[in-house]
Amino acid sequence: MTTGPRAAEIWRYRHFYLFVSPFFLLFAVFGLYPLLFSAYLSFVKWDGLTQMQWVGLGNFRAMLDDEILWRSLMNTLVIGLLYVPPMLIMAFLFAQLLNSQWLKFKGFFRAALFLPCVTPMVVIAIVFGLIFSPEKGVLNYVLAALHVKAVPWLTSEDWSKISVAILVVWRWTGYNMVLMLAGLQGIPGDYYEAAEVDGATPFQRMWHITLPLMRPTFRFCGLLSLLGTIYMFDEVFVLTNGGPGTSSTNFGLYLFQLSFDNFKFGYASCVAYSVAIVVFVATLIINRFNRGEEGGAA
Amino acid sequence: MIASAQVRRVTPQQIAMYTLLIVAAFLFMFPFYWLLISAFKTQGQIFVNPPQWIPSPATGKNFSDIYQQTNLLRAFANSVVTSALSVFLSLFLCSLAGYAFAKYPEAPGHDKLYAFVLGTMLIPGAVTLIPTFLVLVNLHWIDTYWALIVPGVVGAFGIFWMRQYIAANVPDDLIAAARIDGCSEFGIYWRIVVPIVRPALAALGIMQLIGSWNNLMWAFIVLRTPSMFTLPVVIYLLNGEMRTPYGMLMAGGLLTTLPLVLAFLAFQKQFISGITAGAVKM
Repeated sequence: MTTGPRAAEIWRYRHFYLFVSPFFLLFAVFGLYPLLFSAYLSFVKWDGLTQMQWVGLGNFRAMLDDEILWRSLMNTLVIGLLYVPPMLIMAFLFAQLLNSQWLKFKGFFRAALFLPCVTPMVVIAIVFGLIFSPEKGVLNYVLAALHVKAVPWLTSEDWSKISVAILVVWRWTGYNMVLMLAGLQGIPGDYYEAAEVDGATPFQRMWHITLPLMRPTFRFCGLLSLLGTIYMFDEVFVLTNGGPGTSSTNFGLYLFQLSFDNFKFGYASCVAYSVAIVVFVATLIINRFNRGEEGGAA
Repeated sequence: MIASAQVRRVTPQQIAMYTLLIVAAFLFMFPFYWLLISAFKTQGQIFVNPPQWIPSPATGKNFSDIYQQTNLLRAFANSVVTSALSVFLSLFLCSLAGYAFAKYPEAPGHDKLYAFVLGTMLIPGAVTLIPTFLVLVNLHWIDTYWALIVPGVVGAFGIFWMRQYIAANVPDDLIAAARIDGCSEFGIYWRIVVPIVRPALAALGIMQLIGSWNNLMWAFIVLRTPSMFTLPVVIYLLNGEMRTPYGMLMAGGLLTTLPLVLAFLAFQKQFISGITAGAVKM
């Protein structure tokens, strides 16, 4: 009987529960259940057809000896280091320019730089494949005109990561630029006016006002890029398919290959979970560390 | 100050910045240009050295070839149907839940449920990939439109986005007045909330459209028969053929890219406001 008032209250708000129920229903089937089942799969050996076999921590042990896994994580790191710094610097620079009052044709420039991130990757990666083509590609043709030796963009283990990085920079700079533009527009104009009255140079304004206040935006863009690089798929799948060899296989592509080329459902789940947990903890640490620093500075 | 504002001299600095932006815009647009002109070249013209910057002569054969040799029209229809259903269902379910979270704050458990919804954003798709595939197998949804539409149709971001907009733009008085007039709860959502939140729906719709139209990996995993393939899958498989027909590929690629570019140009403002909403929240 004690539940009476509560039940009445719930009945009164039945529409609320009805309206939010599709999310919870679909999440139960396509989110929660997969999450739990995947945790279970981490401890079994299974190809999806034959009998499951409990292997305990065997999958975790196998990860330590999985050279391709470590290679793919290393490749992820290298590709990230190759493209994130230039991409964020360019995005910031373009956002600064687009934020200037004197600039005309802002809409055109913004659309031109932003358009890459809405286009179908599968199409664009094939176009890049043509542009990067070693003998007949337009890029090497232009380089030859500048007396630079032909670059084996997609056929060399050393260059494949760089080619992927170029494609990613092309695709995501505009996206980050738009985020940075929003960050810049959130800085109150009074700060700059006060600085100008005090006789601050443009460089001082940038160093003491813009950059410190843009820090949360940089952090957000950096985290997005981190996650994006680890789980990136379309870009590598179409441009290099991880090759030559495994020289450009990132974690996202390797996980896909484990799951749907080799059908190692148990092992792939174990790998996915382990990396997701490490990434999650790293994200928390980065966030905590940065927040602490900002709190100290304020 | 006043004089300089009136005369508007262009400084050397500004010329440098314009130059930088023009060069950047040129480089970022170049792959689109290459896609466009390659679609009108023969295989031989695509690989000729020096490259043809303008196809001469231009050929329309790639378009008729891809029309005759692949099921492109069917793939286009598959892409349109799955994307449209995905967009409409997503808009309906996200805005309905967003309305509920914005306007029934006294409902028991409201805050916990909302925190739960936001918490689901932390789950990376990579972890749930295999079991979600197995669920679709068990539902006998492999090779159907549903496998492409349903799993991602109502996400935490969509609900968050709609809730914010509804909380800020739909006055409580208006809802109370409608209720007094005898309007049903769903009627309030449908006749009052939906018309007010159209801009937010446009933003979410364009985001969902881009994600759905470009979806390669999931379509590649769950579709089996050629007649069910969406455009990205057709393009991807054409690329894997022994002697890749690049001209046809570029023609198909152009037809895959064009609708999105047009949709983006039409809803550019809304789309950008949508993606920056996530950043402002952090």
